[in-house]
Amino acid sequence: MISRVADHGFWFGRYLERAESTARVLHVTLTMALDAELTKAQCWLPVIIVSGEKAHFASTHEPGAEADGDLVQRYMSWSEDNMTSIRRSVSAARENARSIREVVSLEAWETVNRLYLWIESPEAREEYEVHRYGFYRRVREEVQLCLGLLRSTMLHDTPLDFIWLGVLLERVGQTARVLDVHHHAVAQYHREQAPNGEPFGAKEVETAIWLSLLRACSGFEPFMKQSPGRVSGSAVAAFLILEPKFPRSIRYCIDSSYDRFCAIRPIDQHALPGAETLRRFGALHDWIRGRTAESLAAGSIHELLTHVVDETARICDGIARELFGYGAEAVSTQEQQQS
Amino acid sequence: MSASVHQSDRVDSGAVSGLFARYAGPPGTFDELIAEDGEPRPSFRRVVELIGARSAAEFGRAQALAELALLNQGVTFSVYSDTRGAEKIFPFCLVPRLVSAADFRHVERGLEQRTRALGLFLDDVYGPQRALAELPILRELVLGAKHYYPLLSGIRPPGGVRIHIAGVDLIRDPAGVFRVLEDNLRTPSGVSYVIENRLISKRIFPQVFEQARIHRVDHYPTRLAETLRAVSPVAPEDTTAVVLTPGPYNSAYFEHSFLARTMGLELVQSADLFVDDDRVFVRTTRGPRRVHVIYRRIDEAFLDPDVFRPDSLLGVRGLMRAYAAGNVALANAPGNGVADDKAVYPFVPDIIRFFLSEEPVLEQVPTFVCARDDDRRYVLEHLNQMVVKAVDEAGGYGMLMGPEASAELLSEFRAKIVAEPRRFIAQHRVELSTCPTWDGADARLAARRVDLRPYVLTSPAGPWVLPGGLSRVALVSGSYVVNSSQGGGSKDTWVQKDHA
Repeated sequence: MISRVADHGFWFGRYLERAESTARVLHVTLTMALDAELTKAQCWLPVIIVSGEKAHFASTHEPGAEADGDLVQRYMSWSEDNMTSIRRSVSAARENARSIREVVSLEAWETVNRLYLWIESPEAREEYEVHRYGFYRRVREEVQLCLGLLRSTMLHDTPLDFIWLGVLLERVGQTARVLDVHHHAVAQYHREQAPNGEPFGAKEVETAIWLSLLRACSGFEPFMKQSPGRVSGSAVAAFLILEPKFPRSIRYCIDSSYDRFCAIRPIDQHALPGAETLRRFGALHDWIRGRTAESLAAGSIHELLTHVVDETARICDGIARELFGYGAEAVSTQEQQQS
Repeated sequence: MSASVHQSDRVDSGAVSGLFARYAGPPGTFDELIAEDGEPRPSFRRVVELIGARSAAEFGRAQALAELALLNQGVTFSVYSDTRGAEKIFPFCLVPRLVSAADFRHVERGLEQRTRALGLFLDDVYGPQRALAELPILRELVLGAKHYYPLLSGIRPPGGVRIHIAGVDLIRDPAGVFRVLEDNLRTPSGVSYVIENRLISKRIFPQVFEQARIHRVDHYPTRLAETLRAVSPVAPEDTTAVVLTPGPYNSAYFEHSFLARTMGLELVQSADLFVDDDRVFVRTTRGPRRVHVIYRRIDEAFLDPDVFRPDSLLGVRGLMRAYAAGNVALANAPGNGVADDKAVYPFVPDIIRFFLSEEPVLEQVPTFVCARDDDRRYVLEHLNQMVVKAVDEAGGYGMLMGPEASAELLSEFRAKIVAEPRRFIAQHRVELSTCPTWDGADARLAARRVDLRPYVLTSPAGPWVLPGGLSRVALVSGSYVVNSSQGGGSKDTWVQKDHA
């Protein structure tokens, strides 16, 4: 597959997933902020942190702006200079798809193009103003429709592998960051609100945070099926990190993205580019499989998630360098064989 | 001139009822669907009846739905003047443009003859130059043409084909005679709209279409892919062919991706390709892969910075060496611009006679060559009646429409012609034929001027004409300019089958 085309496919997948994830996180946070007994900043700051735009938000807004839920939503939905806003993600997904129109199936393309045209239209602004949930829902549904169409209308071959690799690696990062931020929020809540033992209702607040986290990952119903009624921090974390059957868990996403990568770059074809990335990917894959619920002792979750986020970023760099031909012009196959 | 001025109240009679009632083309113009007596032309009677039976409201709704479908599918072109790089749909009129079987047979014969002769002419220009020796004025014009590249001399293209894809613009004069207006032998565009427009016609007028017995057009991509493989330097089954595009910001990007998709070929940009040892490769996720045929949709000036534009960052370094070595076929061949040059156009009938010893089948528009003293004198004396074209401009730019021009513009062109006579040709304005066209603002059918661009594919076995083509329509009342860059739209072209 042409390297540039693979590159566009990969980012098409990543931006699609990002748009959907941002819409879901905003939707969930909007619901939680109504009755979670948390301060507005405690609700909305995590949204910005998860997107990785804390510094940018701080530098472009007044101090304390994160307590303004409407402002945060506008920033995460519409901002042209926020690379992770829904609008920018949809536009970037569509631009990547348009650059490889000959690869993306007509039906999938039409879905993302329609979503883009809608987001840019006055109707979307109006929907956002008068029916916020409807706006977020539409973004999520259109993206999910597109993801579904990709799988049901395209050859299950290298182009789809690259798109799906992008979706899954984006999802690994999203789940890891959402979990990390919530974990941090709970810990902070304990420090600030309950330094001298648990006040009345603290348990409910904490449960609300964990439930909202599950919803932000579309994991509420699957979690309840796996561990009925036992909503604890450690159970939720174990589920989102380790559950091999939940399609947004870190373990699941690493498993399946590694499978996609091995389809793209088979393990036994040593002459092909991508040896270094394959090695690193394999190591991450083995490592996550070696984790158990017991090994997720309190305090280690942040380190684990940091490792996942860092390694995923390195793998993405490796893919760009070895398969998309970024940076050092065409590393020759001989050099790769030696490494 | 406003079309409404020429509206005459006709008595609703026979076939001409409903949508076509009270429709009439401007006097002195050939209307392709409705004859001067207000009756449909005999071959098209049934179609006029069926389409005419729709109500204006119904038709307007269908038209709006068709446009929305085009937008959602991204069947668009980019507008250069728009800073946000906005994409627009190519305006589309649902009323088909019909061509009878007999008319198209004539056109087909003429186009085959013309492309064959122009191919031989190009072989000659980049070879022995026999024709140029016979026609001194042509020699001067060819050797001085902007698109003549002496360094291509002596290179025989793989498969011996130079004009793999031709798009020839035809118009019909007030007598209904088809005339060639222009040849496009470099990167003619528009064929994707021919196929997309057909999909819409079939969806919206299924019964009309079925009864009208129309030639299909959707096999064009398959024929094009075969044409490309047929000139490969290796066996067709071992051939990797690609479509080369300047990228998504090019105005014709939709078409580039459309053709790649419908041919099952990969769409590449210059940076995806490189040349090693006079062979062309594409960079893939599994390392370099050899490329044998390139359907290039970028201007030849940007093909290879080593040869054409040293200042250009675009292009594939070494591509022309690979081409000269016979290791890669380029469609169309570089250098073709010399044969579709407006300065050479007036000589095409002579070229046909010279190379084929046949009389031209298709007429063309009588043309004055300003480089010739007599012609120039005539043009300058009748400037306000002439259409003057700069030979090195395209897309409707650099043109003088004498009858509509201000005194200032006329004197500006007069000075230009005197200063550089070789840069200009002139023609009397032809009253382009009209077709009934949907006027959204007035919710009725109005006469609008059209042209026709059929497509000719040439493989080593010879030329083949797609039975159809792009009908471009000047959507503005009274306008003669059909270019999409200047407010033109398109229609589906229905070429009728012979009666069985």
